Amino acid sequence: MKEILKQLCAANGVPGYEDEVRECIREMVEPYADEIIEDHLGNLLVLKKGAKPRKAPMMVCAHMDEVGFLISRITSDGMFKIVPSGGIDPRVLVGRRMEVGPRKVPGVISLKAIHLTTPEERKVAPGIDTLYIDIGASSQKEAEQYARVGDYATFQSRWVEFGDERIRSKAIDDRIGCAVMVQLIREGVEKDTWFAFVVGEEIGSRGAQAAASRLKPRWGLVIEGTTAADIPGVREHERSCFQGGGAVVSLADRGSVYNREFVRRLTGKADEAGIRWQYRASMNGSTDAGVMHQAGEGAQVFGLAAPVRYIHSASNVLHWPDAEEVLKMARLVVKEAECDD
Amino acid sequence: MELVNTIKSLTDRYGVSGDEYGVSAQAAELLRPYMDRVEVDKLGNVIGYRSCGKEGAKKLLLDAHLDQIGFVITEVLEEGFCRFIGMGVDPRMLLGSELTVLTKEGPIPAVVSCIPPHLQKAGDNKKALPIEEMVLDLGMSGEKARETVRVGDYAAFAGEAFQLKNDLLCGKSMDDRACFVCILLALEELQGKELDVDLIVLGSTKEEVGGHGARARAYLDAPDYAIAIDVCHARTGDNKPEDRVFDLGGGPVIGFGSNSMPKFARRLCEVARAKEIPYQPEAVPAHSGTNAWSIQPIEGGVCTAVVSLPLRYMHSPVEVLKLKDMKHVGHLLAEFTLGFDGNL
Repeated sequence: MKEILKQLCAANGVPGYEDEVRECIREMVEPYADEIIEDHLGNLLVLKKGAKPRKAPMMVCAHMDEVGFLISRITSDGMFKIVPSGGIDPRVLVGRRMEVGPRKVPGVISLKAIHLTTPEERKVAPGIDTLYIDIGASSQKEAEQYARVGDYATFQSRWVEFGDERIRSKAIDDRIGCAVMVQLIREGVEKDTWFAFVVGEEIGSRGAQAAASRLKPRWGLVIEGTTAADIPGVREHERSCFQGGGAVVSLADRGSVYNREFVRRLTGKADEAGIRWQYRASMNGSTDAGVMHQAGEGAQVFGLAAPVRYIHSASNVLHWPDAEEVLKMARLVVKEAECDD
Repeated sequence: MELVNTIKSLTDRYGVSGDEYGVSAQAAELLRPYMDRVEVDKLGNVIGYRSCGKEGAKKLLLDAHLDQIGFVITEVLEEGFCRFIGMGVDPRMLLGSELTVLTKEGPIPAVVSCIPPHLQKAGDNKKALPIEEMVLDLGMSGEKARETVRVGDYAAFAGEAFQLKNDLLCGKSMDDRACFVCILLALEELQGKELDVDLIVLGSTKEEVGGHGARARAYLDAPDYAIAIDVCHARTGDNKPEDRVFDLGGGPVIGFGSNSMPKFARRLCEVARAKEIPYQPEAVPAHSGTNAWSIQPIEGGVCTAVVSLPLRYMHSPVEVLKLKDMKHVGHLLAEFTLGFDGNL
């Protein structure tokens, strides 16, 4: 699964521009899929049949998009001004290597040299409106040969394995979810299951809404990369979840309150199976579960995630053993979600 | 000389001020083919000599520094993170950045921690975090971190150099290893040509912390003339009108002032004009911020000049230069040296 994740993280998928990720996933799952639908929004809906059908549909969901930027303007001196697509702290942009437009032209975001700043200036974080991407073009006309207003820009992907089984890359949020789904499709399932690789989560769960309204799931599973704030300086109770703690299970967030009985039943089975898991101790953020549980007649959705540090930056950090627990938990939920209620 | 790979062979290595030895070894290798003799001294300075074979010849020293800005680990924390301080770095470019920690067992990757927007309070993203409040994520248990990383270990920006459009090269440590390569370009041009001065080439250490390496060599080698080749600020989109900045692609910048002495600077400009090399004059009233300041007053005094290479985003992980500027700097140094009889 690590190789799957690595390939997926190397692809770019800013909201609206998920094509590259989708084609990568299609290639990975095509030989194993029983049916593939690409809908109008660009979602990739993959049916994997099991030995048995289900009483009602089950939908497993992960988003293909990553936070990134759109080019909003090209300056007369050939620099690309950008607007964020998804929630990004502009402070993580300075000094970063970028890829601009469909041709992935390399560029950088930086600031003028420290020598030209005052101590007062260095206390104020530059807003995204003052930053720009420099690809080396010397005029607007020249820059336009490489990318146009409306094209995407994103962090250059740099996959590094370090420390104790840590991986550093862009877009682990949510390629980890996609990787787990690809793995499950390849392994096979006991009962028919829809796997929805969706677009536009980072700008408001657009793809999941369309996918869920088509598939009308009765049971759902969302697989995410979520905020692990287990770093010094953050108080223990504000850390949300921690690395090494295994799969992260949601009880509630800004988009949904998860069915407690459903969660308890499945986490109970996880305990029996010796799967390491933890609750997500934060209400912040939301996932595609928010729109999925409201689709059709309502679905019971299980919110699962890998604890990932520094999401929404160029340096997402994943602890690989956690990813393995997420895979085990996802496998268990797909198997056990259906019940007679 | 294959320019980009030569630069990368220096800039992709680590050599924070005080521990430049790895870079020095590579610089010495690059320098050797052009000189009679090349040495690396105790400080890590690389020094090469080429004699013109003429009695009483004056000594001309060309200097570029090999050290880079960096960080020092100040504390290894229980949870597998560490605290660090910077040497010459704007803390606003650190959150979420990749650093390499230079441990006793070799370089290891690390990431500067940042809090994701989901968990921030309103207004947090407008405040620049001071470096003292940042932590570096080693991705290890506290126990392993304490075994691996020690207080006093250096860290540096990670990432290899890469090319942008229009002949631009981007990466860390262009300041000032690119200028060492400019000297190599000059030496390549001077190969087999008769000179009237003894040439000393210095790849110096510890410039970023006060020019100690160059000062030590100035005592030992006692040059008559010295040119410090260093980087200067090329214009960027966020400059103020009063910032002293130069055109990327505008050619070498030649300093004028007490530290880049006018008679020396004038000669360099004359050579540039005669050989049709574009150049840009710079007013340098006092301290030039280069090794020329360290070298000038040593051993009875050295006649110094400063020649600079325009560079965008200096002291960042993504410093940007133009290869053509480097060629012009190299050519200017070569033409000046070729026509120099030891008198200005």
